[in-house]
Amino acid sequence: MKSFVTIKEGSATHWAIRLVVAAAIVWLAIRIPTVWEAGTISTAIDALTLMAAAMALNLVLGYAGQISIGHSAFLGIGAYTTGIMVSRWGFSPWLTFPVAFAVSFLLGVIVSFPAARIKGVYLALVTLALGLVFPQMMTWKKLAWLTGGGSGLPVSCPATGVSRTCPGTEVPTTGFNIGPAAKGQMETFEIFGWKPFGNLQRPDNKAAFYYWIAAIVAVVVYLCCRGVVKSRIGRSLIAIRDNETAAAVMGVNLVSTKAFIFGISAGLCALPGCVKAITTGGVSPEGLVSITVLGAITFLIVMVIGGAGSLWGPVIGAVLYVFINDKTGTWDKDEKIPGLFRPLLSWAEVAPADGIFALLLILLMFVAPRGLVGMWKQYSPLIVRVVPRPAGAGGAAIALATASADTTTTNEGDTQ
Amino acid sequence: MKQRKRVLGAFIAASALFAAACSDDDKSTTPATEAPDGTDAPDATDAPDGTDAPDTTDGPVETDPPAAEGWAVDTSLCVDEAAANAPIEGTIKIGSAMPLSGGAAAAAFAPVKDGFEAYIQYANENDILGDMEIEIAIEDDQYNAELTPGAVATQLDAGAHIFSGIIGSANNAAVRDTLNQNCVPQLAALTGSPAWGDVANYPWTTGEFVPYTIESQVYAAQIAELYPEGATVSLFHVNNEFGQVYVDAFNEIAGDYGIEIIGEETIEAAEQAPPTAQITNIAAAKPDVIMAVPLGAQCIGFLTEVANAKAADPSWTPAVFLTNTCASSLILGAAGAAADGLYTSSNGVDIMDPAVQDIPAVAEYIAYMEGLGKSDIATTAGAGWTAAEVTVAILKQAMESPEGLTRASIINAARNFEYVPMLVVDGVTFTMNGETDPYIAQSLVVRQYDAESATFTDVGELITDFES
Repeated sequence: MKSFVTIKEGSATHWAIRLVVAAAIVWLAIRIPTVWEAGTISTAIDALTLMAAAMALNLVLGYAGQISIGHSAFLGIGAYTTGIMVSRWGFSPWLTFPVAFAVSFLLGVIVSFPAARIKGVYLALVTLALGLVFPQMMTWKKLAWLTGGGSGLPVSCPATGVSRTCPGTEVPTTGFNIGPAAKGQMETFEIFGWKPFGNLQRPDNKAAFYYWIAAIVAVVVYLCCRGVVKSRIGRSLIAIRDNETAAAVMGVNLVSTKAFIFGISAGLCALPGCVKAITTGGVSPEGLVSITVLGAITFLIVMVIGGAGSLWGPVIGAVLYVFINDKTGTWDKDEKIPGLFRPLLSWAEVAPADGIFALLLILLMFVAPRGLVGMWKQYSPLIVRVVPRPAGAGGAAIALATASADTTTTNEGDTQ
Repeated sequence: MKQRKRVLGAFIAASALFAAACSDDDKSTTPATEAPDGTDAPDATDAPDGTDAPDTTDGPVETDPPAAEGWAVDTSLCVDEAAANAPIEGTIKIGSAMPLSGGAAAAAFAPVKDGFEAYIQYANENDILGDMEIEIAIEDDQYNAELTPGAVATQLDAGAHIFSGIIGSANNAAVRDTLNQNCVPQLAALTGSPAWGDVANYPWTTGEFVPYTIESQVYAAQIAELYPEGATVSLFHVNNEFGQVYVDAFNEIAGDYGIEIIGEETIEAAEQAPPTAQITNIAAAKPDVIMAVPLGAQCIGFLTEVANAKAADPSWTPAVFLTNTCASSLILGAAGAAADGLYTSSNGVDIMDPAVQDIPAVAEYIAYMEGLGKSDIATTAGAGWTAAEVTVAILKQAMESPEGLTRASIINAARNFEYVPMLVVDGVTFTMNGETDPYIAQSLVVRQYDAESATFTDVGELITDFES
């Protein structure tokens, strides 16, 4: 297969392209909270939290081949950890992130034990049960002293009046109303005397502040996933996914590897849950749909559309999902639907985002079962081919690889 | 080759979708447009004098403008005090967040949105605010509180002056801090959570429905009247804040009315299967009364299961009290004979009752909605219409205040308010008076449903005991 352009991995051109892409991403990341308005920033926050959750799920499902339809529970653990620690015990929200990771990691490891013995649809059912049971556990009356029961946790407390305590408790609102704020005093975020966001009561400032929390969480989750995937464990995961028996014969410890990856995935999935709790200002299954099984299905859709088993798949999927949801949210009347789609989408009299995703999913299953990133990997060599650096690459090996570039196909496997 | 064609096709479809999505799609904005035929509004001056006692539902009744010495908001706490007191001229932009997509919720609440938009259009066509144009923009939050802050932020960016008619307790709570900190009126929250009466901490937020706590007390009083010797009651409620508020209030006052609670069953908010096990447990205890607080389609499942249990044991004939959020003719009609004889409550007229449809204000509402092609005029659409009507009445009162129309004068008008909407029962007046009376509606009449005629019959008089 001929390509217009052939680039050697690790060459100056390759690095230049990488730098340009990285610079573009950084430029966009900075531009969103500094130039765009609060509404758009909020949409970006949704995308960032969704992509972090989908990336965490991708570790288990995309790389290890373990089907999970219960990751919403792990996200919920993050949200409830933040809610409980802040509103019940008055901890700083920052402290809740590592605690949420640890609690969720432990639960993930526990869930992995049945996963070590079962797979396929049976594992899917076990995780589905987890996703279904979690919201019911959180609304269970006997746990109401901790979780708030059906009412959830009143983590958002009066912000404008005299009282600075949550109704019915003596806990000061050190959490979601960030920073000290007596009556009439500015709420702010301060680090070493620097207040980068100014008055956090302004919607734009608050949105920017939340955006950076979500962005940092997304980057941390990405880097953790990348670290795992590129490591020995990552290769073990792919081996387990492709052929468990062969992986075991090659020396992969199936039980410990699955336990580790379930734990890491669960722990990472809890982090966007903390962000959800902070940005929404309340925690309950009714208030946070992401912690119900609907959330888990959304993570799955995002991952599949973007591309399972690919680090960038969940990122692309989440951006596309939020973009379409945002843009079609008001297509509930004929006149608001662009003419091309009016005959197709006007019958329901509700905004058609769900239907669009259903169609997109069916379409992708036919033409790109590996998602959008998989499709890119499959067809981008028609335009540009990156010749991978052979293992133990020296000058001769690279020359050999380059010479054979026209006759080899790229590995469409699983690493970036 | 075939594979390439498929990919090409997919690419074209995706590109078209992307292009369409990128195109400018105006938000759900409803400017003044032509009125449907034959639906001219009554002249504002035709309305009865506001100093008269609250009249029947012959039309909206305007009442006294706020007293100069009435409750006033403290704008010194606002992020931008000048903006809160800046005059609003030309066009008033109302923002809202409702479920426009997201499955069952969107379908269930679609009539609320229709009713809300219809009244705004009606107000514009009939110049209820004079030269002031009213613009309504409704963002989709899919009934998901995670999305409400983004929806509200988008509308704030677009210059929304006030918000009204946001649906859902969690959804309103999710934006309450932001709107209060920025001193943006959050009017007519479409939930009955008692949280909307926290004037000291959330002065800029007002509710629209009778607080669920009051509704509970109304039912307790009616049970005491039906069973003067005392009654045994089993509770059935949805396991969320909505159900919990009802049940907590009911538990608190049950003893005062000679009520003994002998059982409590719950159903999860997302559960749609009939509550067979729960009703079996309730039937085993044979209470005199079932006090039920289900949600949406759960109301139908609950009524059907109770009917089955009663059929299995004819000696057991409990009175069923059902929250008024279930008391829509759509829901009860779907339940059929199983809904016969249940007790509920309301402060609005039964729009589906042919006798009520002859009342001029109701007839006008129906004619206007039908003129817009909105044949679904049942309770939910009426709730949207009334929320918009109250909002516009508040705006009118604010315009007539010495300060003119500002965000501060709007919330001051809302909290010093007295008005009789078109679709309420005789004797109901919507009032608010600062911290003294933080809830706009506190009167209810108990009603009994007749499945055969699909109408309600009032049981006793309008209960106004809870008005502050």
